Amino acid sequence: MSQFPLRLRSAVLTGLLILTSSLLFFAAGAHADVPLSSPFQTSRANSGTPKSDHVSTDKSGQVTSYGNSAITYNLPPAALQNLGRALYMQNCASCHGIEANGVPPTGTSGTSSNFPNLLGVGPAAIDFWIESGRMPAAEPRDVQSKRKRARFDHTQAMAIASWVNSLHPGLPLVPTVNTTGADVVNGASLFALNCAACHTITGGGDALAAHTYAPSLRNIPGYQVAEAIRTGPGNMPRFTGNLTDAQVRDIVTYVTVNIQHPVNTGGLGLGGLGPVAEGFVGLALGVGFLALAGFWVGERND
Amino acid sequence: MSKTIIRTKRSQKEALGPYGSLGKVLGELDDRLGMAKAGRTFMDKIFPDHWSFMLGEIALYSFVVLLATGVFLGLYYVPSQALVTYHGSYAPLEGMRVTQAFASSIDLSFAVRGGMLMRQMHHWACDIFVGAIVVHMARVFFTGAFRKPRELNWSIGLTMLILAITNGFLGYSLPDDLVSGTGLRIAYSIMLSIPGVGTYLAYFVFGGNFPGTSVIPRFFILHELIVPALIVGLVSAHLFLLVRQKHTQFGGRGRTETNVVGSPMFPVFIAKTNGFLLLVTGGTALLGALAQINPIWQFGPYDASKISYAVQPDWYMGFLDGILRIMPAWSFHNFGHTIPWEVTFPAVIFPGIVFNLCYAWPTIERLYTKDNNMHNLLDRPRDRPKRTAAGAAIFSVLALLFIASSTDVIANFLHVSLESVLWSMRALVFIVPAVTYPVTLKICRELQAVHDGGKRKTPNVVTRSATGEYLATLAPSVVDDVHHELEAELVPTFITADAGTSLSSTGVRSVER
Amino acid sequence: MTEHRTPVSLTTVSESAENLQPLAKNPIAVERRIAVLFLAGMLLEVGFGWSYWVNSPSWILGATLGGGLSLMGIGLIAWGKYLMPRGPFVEERHDLASTSDERDAFAGAIIERGASVVKRRKVLGGLLGGGLGVFSVTALFPLIRSLGPLPKGSLFHTDWRKGSYAVDITGHRIHVDDLSIGSIVTVFPEGLQETNNGQAVDQTVLIRISNENFVTQKGRETWGPQGYLAYSKLCSHLGCPVGLYEQQLKMLVCPCHQSMFDVTNGAIPNFGPAPRPLPQLPIYVDAAGYIRAQSDFKEPVGPGFWERS
Repeated sequence: MSQFPLRLRSAVLTGLLILTSSLLFFAAGAHADVPLSSPFQTSRANSGTPKSDHVSTDKSGQVTSYGNSAITYNLPPAALQNLGRALYMQNCASCHGIEANGVPPTGTSGTSSNFPNLLGVGPAAIDFWIESGRMPAAEPRDVQSKRKRARFDHTQAMAIASWVNSLHPGLPLVPTVNTTGADVVNGASLFALNCAACHTITGGGDALAAHTYAPSLRNIPGYQVAEAIRTGPGNMPRFTGNLTDAQVRDIVTYVTVNIQHPVNTGGLGLGGLGPVAEGFVGLALGVGFLALAGFWVGERND
Repeated sequence: MSKTIIRTKRSQKEALGPYGSLGKVLGELDDRLGMAKAGRTFMDKIFPDHWSFMLGEIALYSFVVLLATGVFLGLYYVPSQALVTYHGSYAPLEGMRVTQAFASSIDLSFAVRGGMLMRQMHHWACDIFVGAIVVHMARVFFTGAFRKPRELNWSIGLTMLILAITNGFLGYSLPDDLVSGTGLRIAYSIMLSIPGVGTYLAYFVFGGNFPGTSVIPRFFILHELIVPALIVGLVSAHLFLLVRQKHTQFGGRGRTETNVVGSPMFPVFIAKTNGFLLLVTGGTALLGALAQINPIWQFGPYDASKISYAVQPDWYMGFLDGILRIMPAWSFHNFGHTIPWEVTFPAVIFPGIVFNLCYAWPTIERLYTKDNNMHNLLDRPRDRPKRTAAGAAIFSVLALLFIASSTDVIANFLHVSLESVLWSMRALVFIVPAVTYPVTLKICRELQAVHDGGKRKTPNVVTRSATGEYLATLAPSVVDDVHHELEAELVPTFITADAGTSLSSTGVRSVER
Repeated sequence: MTEHRTPVSLTTVSESAENLQPLAKNPIAVERRIAVLFLAGMLLEVGFGWSYWVNSPSWILGATLGGGLSLMGIGLIAWGKYLMPRGPFVEERHDLASTSDERDAFAGAIIERGASVVKRRKVLGGLLGGGLGVFSVTALFPLIRSLGPLPKGSLFHTDWRKGSYAVDITGHRIHVDDLSIGSIVTVFPEGLQETNNGQAVDQTVLIRISNENFVTQKGRETWGPQGYLAYSKLCSHLGCPVGLYEQQLKMLVCPCHQSMFDVTNGAIPNFGPAPRPLPQLPIYVDAAGYIRAQSDFKEPVGPGFWERS
């Protein structure tokens, strides 16, 4: 580069500068109006909306809890809103914006769908992402945020959810699953139909398209299973009116009982990976060991 | 005078001859069967001892385990797709409507005493069976044991490999669980893809559209009766030819094209081989006890609208799954019909090419080397570099395709995208054999050039003199080194024909033993 | 009595020949060790019998059975290897092939004897051959044809008809207000959700990707009412159920061999081995708000076959 005449060099650099800043300008402008997240909508009874067996409202008419014998949905306490706002501003606003609408504070460059609009997503979604440790995102540019140790405890997560929800109330509220009376046989069948195609029939998870993946279900608490089913985080489909609360309860029970404590009376589970792992063991341990035994039985050449 | 002769114990014993009452029994048998001569010849048969000749025995004995455990399983398994309500100890299935095949397999695992062990031994033995056949076939290939006069035995063995793979697929489809049922759907679609006759073939095998209610009972008869009967027949032919033509052996001290050096059938070989049978059975039982395989209760019953992610067929079908994944979506359909090339090539034509190449190999090699001689001595793989390299290249492609059947597991494990794994596999399937062939060729040639390559070397003792000079001397050979082989002798007691009786009047020669 | 036996004489190798000695340097010690192995094996087998009697878990049954057999096997192998005559022994390979005289006699027996028969009875031989040949072909007929029905046109249509209600696996009719954007449900024609054919052939995925009518391709303007799209769940590659939906990518992925179908443009595959898009089911929302089919699929569902144009 140093051989080129000075004029040429400065011309090229200026051109690049103009190009980059105009790109940023375009990008910033393009992010100007981010669509509202799609609402949680279903008209089916007992499927995660206040159209349930029992509903409670507060003095101002806002729904604070609803549900049935399978799942109860609760609004995070309003008293936590100030705490929630403070936590949000410290930890979430840099990406999700000070108005939680996905528009980052002015001055920050670079916008994309990695900073989604949180208005109207509902408290259950926010609680899920925070308590599973996926948020705050360690690497915002990752296609899919990884599950890790949660930065906030349950109260703090409720606080953030409470505040964000107060900006634009959404559904569903935070579920608590009551596993008594669950039909684990029905849960097994529904799991095979709806969940196994991504999470595998043994719940181990696997890689999906374009750097996304279905996570393992072997270490997840029951209420997070329910939150994930109802809210459809990331690329996971959202199960609203296609699953009633009783069905979600059955699936949650199946996951927490049978997926997470599989019956392995046959011996070592080999990771539940299926015939691939079994093949390796059979060939390496079975044929390999027996071939070595043959090495002992037989002779070698001089 | 009385005709009775008083027989004392001693005189009775002496009357029996030098071999006692056992000898008398054998004599009586010989009067009826005439088997003394043949039995003697058989017992004197020499079996060469090289360890690589044990690999076929692993296959044979795991087949024995399959037969024995299979009989047990067949007594409990119900080959029916009629729906029943499952009642048993596994809670997530309690009260579910499932096929009788699935319910009886679950009962075998949980309700029948010893059933879980037998089921798992059966499945592990199958994996070991096919694995041992492949390893044994590789040994035969790389040492050139398929040459004249053993081409027929090679074909018989190859047919048994195909039958073993088929029977394995049929067998693990019998419990009618979610994972194996998906494999059935794929098999149905592969049959459909055959041009011209595909739809008829699929409809005839399955008795109609998928899944139908005939496939499980039909697969059961094939798996339990027809294919094992074929394998038993072929194994008998395989062993008969082996005994008749005698086993091959590596060259070495005292070994020529016209002799066999090793241990006699009785007692040494019988002891070692039966010990090996016990070891194979015991090893399979240990695997069946400690390592879970095919936990069908976790999969649930098959339902055509359900599926699990991350399923693969058993390992010996893996190469087919791999090539089905990486094959591009090329379909011919602009002429009024469809040839689903993306299925027909990987699943029908490619295995056809591979197996036919294997069948034809003795002929191909004979044409290429113009060698029509009998061969009873084996090659060291390094001494036939082109054959070894070709075999290694073909094997590497099949191994790569087997790995390609778990693209999603690899992507998950290495945290790379699914798409990049697939594209890598598509490239590797050409690169890997293209690299394996010349590399193997080179390695063989290098090994040939090494003096005394592969032989047991005498160690050197390195000492240092007072002036600092290093001296290396050959270590004294240990006289009772276990592997120091003696000069080969004839079998202990041997028989020669009396002088003048070498050719009897009927023109049949008498054999010197 | 003894005349038919070949006259032979017996000669023996000396008993002290080295090849007859055991390989072990101290056979007595080896014998003891093998005895221990056999004893341990026997005890383990007794253990197997006992644990079967008391209904022990499978791993104990297998460990005792396998351990016992393995120990006995190792002992037997050691016996053969270390205590029996160490060898090696040799035997001559005799010519596998017969002498040329014998070969001529064999070939002559077949050809000349056979020729004499056929030469004299050529017509008979030909007719017999013809009859057996016809039989060998017709014998295959019942073996093959009785196995199943002819496919005819059954691969070309499903049970979806004009007006079929879309129901889920429990029989619940899907209503237009049931699903949110990003939801997916497996549906069948009403009444067939529990049948083999219903599940295998008619299975369809119903996805909601928006709240407005969605057009995937030209000519399908009415097929996406209020954002609902229905595609056959049978993969066009090998017929696996395409149950894997990624809602942000708007992509259906087949779990078997990872073909990826773009839901927004008619499920055209943009990756993987699948050759054709998933057929889209024309649906409408009836007056009461239920999702119903306008007709059957416009093309055969599932993998490719010869008769499919």
